[in-house]
Order: sequence, then structure tokens, then C-alpha cells
Amino acid sequence: MFVSDEDLMVKCSTGDMSAFELLVRRYQNPLINYIHRSIDDYQRAEDLSQETFLRVFKSANRYEPTASFKSWLYTIATNLCRNEIRNRTRRNTYFFEDLVEEGEDVYHANIMQDTRYLPDSLLEKKEQRQIIRKALAQLPENQRVALTLVTYQDLRYEEVAKILGCSVGAVKALIHRARQKMRKLLIKAGIAE
Amino acid sequence: MSRFTSTNRKGKLKTEFPDVSDSTCEAHLASRDELSAYIDKELPTWKRHLIRRHLKTCMICANEVQRLQQTDDFLCRSGEIEVSNDFLSSVMARVSDATKYQRQYDSLWSHVTRFIGASLGWTRHGLMFADKLRYNIRTRSPVYIFVLTFAVFTMVGATLYQSSSSRFGQSVHVLKKSQELNGEKLISFEVIQHEPPKRLLTTYLQQK
Repeated sequence: MFVSDEDLMVKCSTGDMSAFELLVRRYQNPLINYIHRSIDDYQRAEDLSQETFLRVFKSANRYEPTASFKSWLYTIATNLCRNEIRNRTRRNTYFFEDLVEEGEDVYHANIMQDTRYLPDSLLEKKEQRQIIRKALAQLPENQRVALTLVTYQDLRYEEVAKILGCSVGAVKALIHRARQKMRKLLIKAGIAE
Repeated sequence: MSRFTSTNRKGKLKTEFPDVSDSTCEAHLASRDELSAYIDKELPTWKRHLIRRHLKTCMICANEVQRLQQTDDFLCRSGEIEVSNDFLSSVMARVSDATKYQRQYDSLWSHVTRFIGASLGWTRHGLMFADKLRYNIRTRSPVYIFVLTFAVFTMVGATLYQSSSSRFGQSVHVLKKSQELNGEKLISFEVIQHEPPKRLLTTYLQQK
């Protein structure tokens, strides 16, 4: 029987750890991917995802079942990402994406780095992924967040507007501009025509 | 692309979708953002229908939609990151640590402080409620004015009575005696003052 996120959160507020575990299982993958796309650093993405879940658990008492859990979760994650980006700008440090694909073991990563062992199609795919990720990282913060939430997390414009604290019309404009800019960047990188 | 932008800006001045048969797209779309919303299925049905009809006749907009969709396809190719196996266990460990700390914190003192906090909260709520009630009575009911006036008069009267009774300074009223005299009751009071001489203050007859 499928239990909705909101019901699980209500159980969480009573201290039900199994309900919380189920929520983490449901959202761990999309959340890490979302944070990774926002801040472009895998290790920090994992830390921030843990922090997000911890905050969800701590503030479970304050959660009102009328609000969508998904938007609430992504609001917390977005705020954490914003803080992270702000701190980075203050510290003036930049995180560059490793050549290694995240989630791969070291042995596999070493082979992947050595292009002699890779078939052409796989290499092309890997390069393409990196270019797309870099292009996404070049978008302005709000555009990137809006586009990521709509394209990868399947959120409605209304939910994105709530998360970003703006109107639905503004979200429409942000997404359109983000797509146009992405297209320009991909053409520049030689992927799109 | 520059053509799109210029036509878009012009188009904003015109009405939304005035005539679908018009071949220039500047007349049809008030805003290019609508095309992105169309791809994401975020438009109401009537607007979607109008855009669909428009796309059949306008190649410029149709190409734009195609390009936007292509960009979306590229985005979907960026791939997903696999979460490490120990992620769930580390989240649960952090949460259990947090709850353990919370339990340690829940000592007797924290219960006391919580109780005080709750009491203060209830007091505050009570005061707020009283304030609200007073405001409601004052603004909504003329009875409040009557009650207030009555209260003021009572207070003024009591004050005046007190001042008249204490005219003779600090004194003690003592009921001296009560006698039945031909159906009449004689009640006499004696005022014993702290300072001599003693003096009879009042004597009056009360009808039965």
C-alpha cells in the first residue's frame, strides 16, 4: 500500500523512525542530484543532502500536512544551496568538477580517465555529460534552480514559484531564459546545432 | 534569435492571439515565455489549444518550440549520479545522534523550564484573550459602555462614602444594644474614638 509523503511526515512527527527512513529512501537520489546540479560538487552535495534530511526530521513537528512535502524539502535544500554558494563567494574559493564520475569506484575511475580503454561512443557520452553539466553551472543561480526543479525534479511552476518566492510569471520567464541560454552554451560547445 | 526578440517586444503591445491566420508570429504570442510553458504543459487548455493551432501555421514559432525541446532533451542526457550505499545509514546515524542529544537535554531542569515557558505562554494567551474580549465588547456592544459607566459610578460612590464615613477620623463603630419598644426597634450605635472624649454619633429608629 502506497503511503503519501505527507502521511509519512505526520508519522515522523510522532517519532516514527521507519517512516522517516522510507522518506529518505524515496528522496535521497533526486535530492543529491538536485543539490549536485546546483552547487557542482559531489562531496558537498552529499553533506548538504544529509543536512537537509536532518532539518526535515528536526522540524517535523512544525510541518503542516496542507503543504506539499516535496516543495518543503526542496525549499530547505534550495536555501542550503544558496548559503553554500554565498559562502563560496565570500571565501573566494571555486570547486572544479573532478574528471571522475561521481559514484564510481577508484579503479573504474582510473580506467575512465585513461581514454585508451574507452569505446568512442562511451567517451563521447561522458564528454557530452560533462559539457552539459558545465553549461548548467554557468547559468545564473535563479535560472539554474528553476530549470533544474522543472526539468529534473518534475515540479510544477507554482511549486517552483513558492520555493523561489516569486510569481508564476517570473518562473515562466526564468525557465525560458535559462533554456535559451543553455542552447547558446551548447551551440558554443559544439553539441547542439 | 534577434528576430524573435524584436518581434516578441512588439508583440507584447498587441493583444494575445488576435488572429491565428496571420502569418507573422509577433501578432500571436504576447510573450515567448509561453512557449516554454507550453512545452512543460503548464498552460490552461484554451491557451494550449490556441498555441497548437498557431504552431501549425507559423514556422518561426514551430522552430522555436523544436529548439526548446531539443535543449530539454540535451538536459535529460546529463545523467543521474548514483548515491553511495552508505548514504542512508549515515543520515540515520546523524538523526539518531540528534535525538540522543535531545533526550539527554530532556532532564528535570528542562521539564521545569518548559513548564514555566508553557505557563508564561498560557498567561500571555489569557492576556491576549482578555484584550481581544475587551476590544470586542467595546467596539461591538453598547452594554460594555453601560457596564463601564456603572463601574465608574460605583467606584466614585464608594470613594465618596468612604470619605464621608471617615469624617470623624479613625473610629470604631460598636453596636451597643437592641431593644423592643412597642413594636419599634431601637438601635443605637456608639462611636468609640481612639482619642477621648467618647461621643454618641447616631441613634435612629427602624420600622419593623
